[in-house]
Amino acid sequence: MRWSGADVQIEKTDFVAIPSQDAERAAAFYGETLGLRSDEHSQYEFWAGDICLGIWEPAKMGMEFQPSKNGHVAFHVPDVAAAREELEGKGVTFNGETFDTGVCHMALFEDPDGNDLMLHNRYAPYSGDSAA
Amino acid sequence: MIDVERTDFVSVIVRDLERAKTFYGETLGIRPNTKAHASYPEFETGNLTISLRAEADHFTPSRTAIALRVPDVDAARTKLESVGVAFAGETFDTGVCHVAFFGDPDGNALMLHNRYALVGG
Repeated sequence: MRWSGADVQIEKTDFVAIPSQDAERAAAFYGETLGLRSDEHSQYEFWAGDICLGIWEPAKMGMEFQPSKNGHVAFHVPDVAAAREELEGKGVTFNGETFDTGVCHMALFEDPDGNDLMLHNRYAPYSGDSAA
Repeated sequence: MIDVERTDFVSVIVRDLERAKTFYGETLGIRPNTKAHASYPEFETGNLTISLRAEADHFTPSRTAIALRVPDVDAARTKLESVGVAFAGETFDTGVCHVAFFGDPDGNALMLHNRYALVGG
């Protein structure tokens, strides 16, 4: 029988799991430093739009913690430069210069556990769309 | 505040772009974004865009696991295992949800997930 990926029936993304060595410190970062909305049912879950970020501690599940140096969660902000300046003022580590890809701005940074994150703003419309 | 408005995507670095495109698009059946740049293919899960890019050197797999909802984790796992997708450990029943850990061909962390308990319950 021919394989059809549709048979897997992926409906949506329920959450993105953020590994941490200190969930309290991570919660303060996502909730206070980044200002994400905290989930009403869990102090370790935060929302960025329709996506829930769930902080977990691998060591508490008998697994090894390693930071995610890949899998950058791209947070949309209205002004990447301004957001970067504000976060750097709060001691957040950024990696490299903000770059302009010709369609968007991106600035790479890390959470306190070293997980890679990104500030993002696409300013160009997709081809075929009228400019907003 | 920096005014995070939404999550635009999760950027997943892979070593082989064509192999990854086949995995996300065909094996997992996630809809590709036909307007995406050819070097940065995107797959739409509905509420999250998975954006792929290739990097052969200094590669390290993502541990920012993306939990993909399916109606039946066991059924989806069985289907994926039948075409060679490797899962790590047994499917967990946490008491509120089922979760099974797997990865893309480069080992980037993914999960099949289904919450069966009412939220807040």
